[in-house]
Amino acid sequence: MLVVRAIREQDFDGLMALAEKVGSGMTTLKPDRKALGQRLEIACASFAEQIAPPQRDYVFVMEDTAIGKVVGVCAIKSAVGLDEPFYNYRIGTLVHSSKELKVFSRMDTLYLSNDLTGCAELCSLFLHPDYRHGTNGKLLSKSRFMFIAQFPHLFSEKLIAEMRGFQRADGRSPFWDSLGRHFFQMEFDRADDLTALGKKSFIAELMPRHPLYVAYLPQEAQEVIGRVHVDTAPARRLLEQEGMYFEGYVDIFDAGPVLQARVSELRALRDSDLAIVDTGLTLEREDHPALVATTRMQDFRVITSETHPHRSRIALTVEQQQLLACRTGDAVRAMPLIPKKSPHA
Amino acid sequence: MFVVRPVAATDIPALEAMSSVTTPGVHTLPRSRATIERAVERSIASFKAQPDMPTEEAYFFVLESDGVVAGTAAISATAGSSGTFFAFRNDVLSQVSRDLNISHNVHALTLCSDLTSHSQLSSFYLNNRSGMGDGAALLSRARLLFAAVAPHRFSDKFFASMSGITDANGRSPFWEALGRKFFQMDFLEAERMIEGARNRTLIVELMPHYPVYVPLLPGEAQAAMGQVHDEGELPFGILSDEGFEPDEYIDIFDGGPILRAHKNALRSFSQSMRRTVAACAEDDTERTAFLVAVAREDGFRAVLTQCPPPELSETLGLDDDAMRALDVTAGDAVLCVKL
Repeated sequence: MLVVRAIREQDFDGLMALAEKVGSGMTTLKPDRKALGQRLEIACASFAEQIAPPQRDYVFVMEDTAIGKVVGVCAIKSAVGLDEPFYNYRIGTLVHSSKELKVFSRMDTLYLSNDLTGCAELCSLFLHPDYRHGTNGKLLSKSRFMFIAQFPHLFSEKLIAEMRGFQRADGRSPFWDSLGRHFFQMEFDRADDLTALGKKSFIAELMPRHPLYVAYLPQEAQEVIGRVHVDTAPARRLLEQEGMYFEGYVDIFDAGPVLQARVSELRALRDSDLAIVDTGLTLEREDHPALVATTRMQDFRVITSETHPHRSRIALTVEQQQLLACRTGDAVRAMPLIPKKSPHA
Repeated sequence: MFVVRPVAATDIPALEAMSSVTTPGVHTLPRSRATIERAVERSIASFKAQPDMPTEEAYFFVLESDGVVAGTAAISATAGSSGTFFAFRNDVLSQVSRDLNISHNVHALTLCSDLTSHSQLSSFYLNNRSGMGDGAALLSRARLLFAAVAPHRFSDKFFASMSGITDANGRSPFWEALGRKFFQMDFLEAERMIEGARNRTLIVELMPHYPVYVPLLPGEAQAAMGQVHDEGELPFGILSDEGFEPDEYIDIFDGGPILRAHKNALRSFSQSMRRTVAACAEDDTERTAFLVAVAREDGFRAVLTQCPPPELSETLGLDDDAMRALDVTAGDAVLCVKL
């Protein structure tokens, strides 16, 4: 059985083993013992509410309880860019027009920005390849929305998620090769590693200071702006189901899209409800499972369940109650795993 | 004999015939009867004007070869005239990260108006480039001798835009990479619509406001930056000898080099000598080729002639032909400079 739960100090080795399986392009999850150790410490202090909300970094792991192994990870950073600058390109528009020549050129531009400073960020999502089936990916990614729905007051107005950008089959980023390489004089992976290590001053030093006209880039690079890595496409769809969307911000290295949402407009804040755990009910089965989460911050847990709440009560088996570490009579938060189709759609 | 003189209304038919064979996008001559007439009228008015400082004057000269108009050259008091003259300045941005031990330079082209108040040489054209010999140098440099005669009519700084690289079909690789994105038309069409000018408002409307990073341009466009069109080799050589140098400015359309000089660096200013005319003794043996210009603003003339070395003399010996061509008599002041 799978449960997503708040990370604990004992999870370090499991986390490290997972990080070793992540390839390049994922800045926030690198197999670096020191960095991961620090992160784990901050995460534990976050769930224990020992540090101020903007400094918190909520890291969750997915555990296969049958074998006691960490098989997935995901996180929510309370606020990005408060310690070191958080960079993105904003896609802007400049119109060049001459009535005299009857020319009207609408040009896309890339502006280096720190606009997303202070936003909460969904990051570090990684599921072990052996577990990439069924509803596992959805459970892992969406568990975070259940957390936000339970504790919305802890988050700033806006939530973002940086998606890994497009790479060719040979692993090269056409955007980097056409743009960043000229300014940074290094390979993509090195720039990515430096960012992961928090050594971001090189960005301010080496990044083009002026806005760029997209039209100057080779066609191949233009086409990948805002496009995700093939492996990331499903993750993007999941986030879009939850109310996040692309609003014209992209990564400065690989031009992967940044998805955004107002916290108050997330599906989880609208569609999730509290319910009382009850074993005595007949099970209300539906086609799709529900996400069921506990309501405590310490040891926060999420599972999927075939049952849905009915009249503010939800039937959970004893096994499920064990996964959630809750008992009959406790309050849990539940939401359909997949949004119900709008009748107008 | 070659004589350079201000254009006259009677030259209009000859100029019209000449303009019909010039290469568009390469030569900056006025091309239609109406624009030729305007340029001639403007030049006549400019020579007549008594400006306190350089403004909108544009002086148009013709080269006469044995009485026939064989070439043109012009000089504007200020490049911007009543507008702003635009060029790309090729800036060097240094990219340094001490932590990472990275240090390199990136070039960026910035649309600038730095050259607006410079005086500008333009419209250099010869009917028969190969057959004119030193007449080409006379034609090009006579403009600067005029500036040396009447410095108050000009800026202290001069420049000349050299035509950039285009292929046989008039395609400019620099334009393809840059101007086309904003103008949405072919190079020649754009040059035709803008009449070769670089001081029009529509340039501000259409050209990029932000610097263009050179490494992002295709290799072909980068290679064309600062390169002279084949037809520009001759004026390029003459102006280089005169003291002009290419530096960080290039043309906004075809990327051709813009040659610049302060007047003190120009031979017409720094090495020209003011002398009074004397009749040349027939038996003078040693003679050197000199450009000689009348030191007066009204009725300016310049010729290329062989004369005795004037360095150690207060006079310049001229033969009858030269005196006639310059419309001077013994005792008149002239400015001369070695060819």
